[in-house]
Amino acid sequence: MSKTLMRFTGVGGQGVLLAGEIFAAAKIATGGEGLKTATYTSQVRGGPTVVDIQLDDQEIYYPYANDGEIGFMLSVANVSYNSFKDGVQPGGIIVVDPNLVHPTDEDRKMWKIFEIPIITIAKEEVGNVITQSVVALAIANTMMNAVDKKTLVDTMLSKVPAKVHAANLKAYDLGEKYAKEAMAKAV
Amino acid sequence: MSDTREVISSGNHLAALAGADAGCRFMAGYPITPSSEVIEQMSDLLPKRGGSCIQMEDEIAAVAAAIGAGMAGHRTMTATSGPGISLKAENLGLAQMCEVPLVVVNVMRGGPSTGLPTRVSQGDVRQAKNPSHGDYRSITLCAGNLAECYTETVRAFNLADRFMQPVFVLLDETIGHMHGKAIIPTPEAVTAGVVPRKQFTGAPEDYHPYECESDQPAVLNKMFEGYRYHFTGLHHDKNGFPTEEIETCRKLIQRLEDKVMLHTDELELNEEFMLDDMTGEEGEVLIIAYGSVSLSAKEAIRHLRAAGIKAGLFRPLTLWPSPEKSIKKYTDMIKNVLCVELNIRQYTEEVERVSSRLDIEGLFKVNGRPISPYEIVSKVKEVF
Repeated sequence: MSKTLMRFTGVGGQGVLLAGEIFAAAKIATGGEGLKTATYTSQVRGGPTVVDIQLDDQEIYYPYANDGEIGFMLSVANVSYNSFKDGVQPGGIIVVDPNLVHPTDEDRKMWKIFEIPIITIAKEEVGNVITQSVVALAIANTMMNAVDKKTLVDTMLSKVPAKVHAANLKAYDLGEKYAKEAMAKAV
Repeated sequence: MSDTREVISSGNHLAALAGADAGCRFMAGYPITPSSEVIEQMSDLLPKRGGSCIQMEDEIAAVAAAIGAGMAGHRTMTATSGPGISLKAENLGLAQMCEVPLVVVNVMRGGPSTGLPTRVSQGDVRQAKNPSHGDYRSITLCAGNLAECYTETVRAFNLADRFMQPVFVLLDETIGHMHGKAIIPTPEAVTAGVVPRKQFTGAPEDYHPYECESDQPAVLNKMFEGYRYHFTGLHHDKNGFPTEEIETCRKLIQRLEDKVMLHTDELELNEEFMLDDMTGEEGEVLIIAYGSVSLSAKEAIRHLRAAGIKAGLFRPLTLWPSPEKSIKKYTDMIKNVLCVELNIRQYTEEVERVSSRLDIEGLFKVNGRPISPYEIVSKVKEVF
């Protein structure tokens, strides 16, 4: 598998950092290289946050995703979406929560934009808003086929408390379901 | 049995783990972005190993407490960022004068003053050379990848005990916070490499901690074992008591200089990346970078080589004292030299000094953003 560059963006406190760590650890578990690098502002909660995830089979040097090379971006905050969307390569995939992020018509021509209500799924269908990062994780991996699903899920479970394993597994399944539906609708 | 292990971690957590594995049993700090994870991790690690970690009321108290533990004979550390070093400067001078070993991890962020707290910078390189007034020689190491956050911190503890003075480990926001795979030595391998600081074992009345060879550090015995001496920031005699005697004063400060500068061979450590095929022929490009910027430089060199430009990287891991002879060797051999730094000329000026060349090109950035590989590629194509 060649190099995969993904970018998760939100605002501080939403848990996008953990999703990046899970991806990197899962890739490393399969024998590859994974690196997560976050950028945030001094306004820790509420400030735009971006996490770059690089998965590769060869050694990764530069820890940030180069602008214009990112194949997948997921955004759950409009301020972050606008700040970081230009890093996505033309034709790349962008997943947004339509309740929070509002792409322009021009954006829709430039990128493959999917609207999935990530926060609502976590809050209402899973019943725990914190699981949004796992919903996001599932969407990203379903669309990008970045790492082996079982390894990713096992890694995810190893990083969350046992008492919320069931909720996070449900979050993963829902993320995968919505991602497949969104892709099927777009074809 | 392998003497290495694979871990998945961040630079800051690896620096903390290195301290704990290297035998540090006391840390005092005051949290500051982007270094806070070092003390956060130590507060978990040290109590489990019989040590103590304390959050003091400010940066000044933190370094003072850490120096106190060093005076008592323990391996000790503090961690901070540039604004914290500014506050700690006075006490760092005290540690230099009293010859107290101490490891200071500085995870660099944008400056001056409070600057850009969450953003990357290498703006403290010049500060690390002379954080406090007076004549002494800084020992400053700089990690350029995740594994080195561990190995350079371990090395810092060993050098601090060898040279009996503070040793800086420079990380930066990028290296400190990036999270991925690192191959690091096992704790057993680290323990096997520890050389404890020298101790005097003769009769207490024959013990004079500052009476040593003119190029050697003081021999500070552990406290509370019957060996009595005095600490002062004033010029002091063989037992540590203040003096203004002319020759004693001269010898003391000359010794602080010579104990480091006559032993730079024990300090120098560099990486030479894709330099082995360099011959000095026309068109070759030497990039000099350190810390997280060297990661960008390595990727740039991949691109440059793919485009037919023979480029390589010289990367000092020991920034101070600088690797004078090695820099001179490469800058004598290769005409096209580019220094890349997240500051304005802080190390480039050192390269100019030791190379005796004023035609060194530079790529600098000070807005808190990293330098991308493509920026380096463009600069090389533009200036050479």
